[in-house]
Amino acid sequence: MTMSKPEFLNRAGLEVQTLDTWLEQHWLIPDQTSTGTNFSEMDVARAHLIRDLKVDFGVNDEGVEVILHLVDQLHGLRRALAQLNRDLQETSR
Amino acid sequence: MKNPYEVLGVAPTASSADIQKAYRKLAKKLHPDLNPGDKATEDKFKEVAGAYDLLSDAEKRKRFDAGEIDATGAERPQHRFYRDFATSNDGHPYTDNSGFADFMDSDDALAELLRRGERARANRSGRDLHYSLPIDFADSITGANKRLTLPDGGTLDVTIPPGLVDGQILRLRGKGAPGTGKGGPGDALIEVEVLPDRRFTRAGDDISLELPVSLSEAVLGGRIRVPTPTGDVSMTVPKGSNTGTTLRLKGKGAPRRGGGHGDQFVKLKVVLPKPPDPELEAFVSNWDKGKAFNPREDSTS
Repeated sequence: MTMSKPEFLNRAGLEVQTLDTWLEQHWLIPDQTSTGTNFSEMDVARAHLIRDLKVDFGVNDEGVEVILHLVDQLHGLRRALAQLNRDLQETSR
Repeated sequence: MKNPYEVLGVAPTASSADIQKAYRKLAKKLHPDLNPGDKATEDKFKEVAGAYDLLSDAEKRKRFDAGEIDATGAERPQHRFYRDFATSNDGHPYTDNSGFADFMDSDDALAELLRRGERARANRSGRDLHYSLPIDFADSITGANKRLTLPDGGTLDVTIPPGLVDGQILRLRGKGAPGTGKGGPGDALIEVEVLPDRRFTRAGDDISLELPVSLSEAVLGGRIRVPTPTGDVSMTVPKGSNTGTTLRLKGKGAPRRGGGHGDQFVKLKVVLPKPPDPELEAFVSNWDKGKAFNPREDSTS
């Protein structure tokens, strides 16, 4: 399920200027297609996280940058660990 | 439902700034996206967020304090957290493996398992690679075979189809970056730039050319040779032609999609002999009819 920019702004509760800044910072990387930009549910969830960080937690832009980088690494690790777990189970079988 | 003041750990007399501070402190620890592996934090976070929603809203807080609404009065709209997407097995644009990249370089069993994991899930096709290729105008009309030298030193043989237009993208299947596993390679996408030509211009399937003719060819007519992108052809200039007279060479334009060709339009341009010829000057100065003709008669208003 993907959505257009206006729909995404609505779902994420964002102003268009805010979104443009976030896109410039590469905090959000939606799919670029020949028909325009396509946002996913994942982009919505990520936008919510960024909003929570900025608005609710008072994290500034530099902080958001650092947190997103660490969170992305954390998920990379979690995925690798999950894969390892599956591999180990297969090997022991 | 617990008392929101207790959930946030503040006194019922706390200021709104204190409430915000207490919420931030708890939420930073409990936010599900900052605790992707801990399912219990989500419920706690919701509880804390609900309490904050209630107490941060002065109106709601007043009504709660007055006993008009209970602690469930404010529930955050349900939303899916980022963590629900981020650990999925499919690649996504935010994937970052730098957290264990150093392990993968080593030779031990863990590295081998990590590498195998990478291989196992990465039956993904390779990326499409983008190139640009400038070609001559004539090649764009007749078609050509070109060899593209790649940045890595390799080459790609590209067949330019006849009638290609500027900016057209040719897709060479399977010539992109190699895929992993059963993924297969991506495609090479080649954007072809047609270099502007000194003589020919193209509009749709038709080609235009400005062709100089001599005064005698224009006045008396005759057969002349005309260049086309596919070679010279012979054409008859009718008697009494002029600068701007446009002649059509049927079927000498660019190949049309679905068969046939466009036309080539030849716009004549009368050029006087160089250097100026005394004989011509003498003739024109004695040529009364020529002097009487005013070509600007209709155009001036």
